[in-house]
Amino acid sequence: MTYAVTEACIRCKYTDCVEVCPVDCFYEGENMLVIHPDECIDCGVCEPECPEEAIVPDTEPNTEQWVALNQKYSEIWPNITERKDPPADADVWSGKPDKMDYISPSPAST
Amino acid sequence: MNEMPVKDVTALTANDFGSDQEVRWCPGCGDYAILKAMKTVLADIGRSPDDIVFVAGIGCAARFPYYLSTYGFHTIHGRAAAVATGVKLANPELDVWVVGGDGDFMSIGGNHTLHALRRNVDINLLLFNNAIYGLTKGQYSPTSPVGTRSPSTPGGSVEAPVNAVRFALGAGARFVARAADTLQTHLPGVLKRAHANKGASFVEILQNCLVYNDGAFGAINDRSQSHEATVRLEHGQPMVFGKEEDKGLVFNNETGAFEVVTLADLKSEDTIAIHDETNFVRAQALAELEQPGFPVPLGVIYAEAATEFVEARGFSGTKSKWGREELKSLI
Repeated sequence: MTYAVTEACIRCKYTDCVEVCPVDCFYEGENMLVIHPDECIDCGVCEPECPEEAIVPDTEPNTEQWVALNQKYSEIWPNITERKDPPADADVWSGKPDKMDYISPSPAST
Repeated sequence: MNEMPVKDVTALTANDFGSDQEVRWCPGCGDYAILKAMKTVLADIGRSPDDIVFVAGIGCAARFPYYLSTYGFHTIHGRAAAVATGVKLANPELDVWVVGGDGDFMSIGGNHTLHALRRNVDINLLLFNNAIYGLTKGQYSPTSPVGTRSPSTPGGSVEAPVNAVRFALGAGARFVARAADTLQTHLPGVLKRAHANKGASFVEILQNCLVYNDGAFGAINDRSQSHEATVRLEHGQPMVFGKEEDKGLVFNNETGAFEVVTLADLKSEDTIAIHDETNFVRAQALAELEQPGFPVPLGVIYAEAATEFVEARGFSGTKSKWGREELKSLI
């Protein structure tokens, strides 16, 4: 199994999760994070860290699309291992449903 | 219950070695990382889950067999090595792994660990060393460093801790290795070497207990800093370390100990030591390297070809030559 980041992360990207991951398996896009499913050890320590509750285990129903999305982008976005400030308008996007329309496929600027 | 696995071993993936049981270690536990690596290794080894047995004692680590689709045996505290010995003698065709923590292997079962190693039974012993009693909520363990404050040592532990690698070498182990939980590109290779060794293989896996002993191994199992805090051993290769591979170990023949040098300052008369995993004296010197001051050796520290127990006892053949009838007549 693996954990996966869902659309709730988009434009919020609080990065509390990356700080606790023991294997540094988060990857950063311009406005979202993803988990590398092959590197995730399923320990679950990131799940409660996310203020947006964006991280789910793939044992939950209907998570296949999120695992696929995490797989795709974790292979092209850069690794992130330290917490950073969230986007200035993160609060505005907090809790908003159906954010997939806003996902940026671009990697985070380093 | 899991269904009995199919025999098409060529098609097995890491997921095929997972069980249907909910994993109940604390979130963030290093045991998850070891389980992940082990499933990958089992798929690579390519034996059917019903040809493999995991035997465990008591402790957090000892939950390991529940989470694999292989056979498993959750035995009593410290006795996993003894039970595993029996399993291997009863059916030498099985791959037998023993999993335990530092309490199980070094304290309660210290004697069984010793005898399994000196007998050289063809089993793989994996010590998940988190230097704390996690399952009972954080008392100091035999591998806890001096000064460890815990419910049972409120003033700090004053006992000298067990060095597990030194213990294994002293017990006569012919295969001794060390790895760290979260170093997922390194750990699987060590586990494969342990499996390939014919005889008792001892692997100390430095494992972080996030709840009761977080950060016990400092930079060692932190991927970003590990290259400065560890030296990765490769047989026949110079012992260099550091992110830039700018430091190395020199063996001082006068003191019989390793010294750290920076390659830029290497004197003309010194040479970086080449790792020879068959050299027992060097293995003992490697066992002494600890943080701070030295990089902690990871990889196969010592490996000596030796006749394993079943063969030495003349039980050669696929199974015990004592069939059921003969055993009955003995009784």
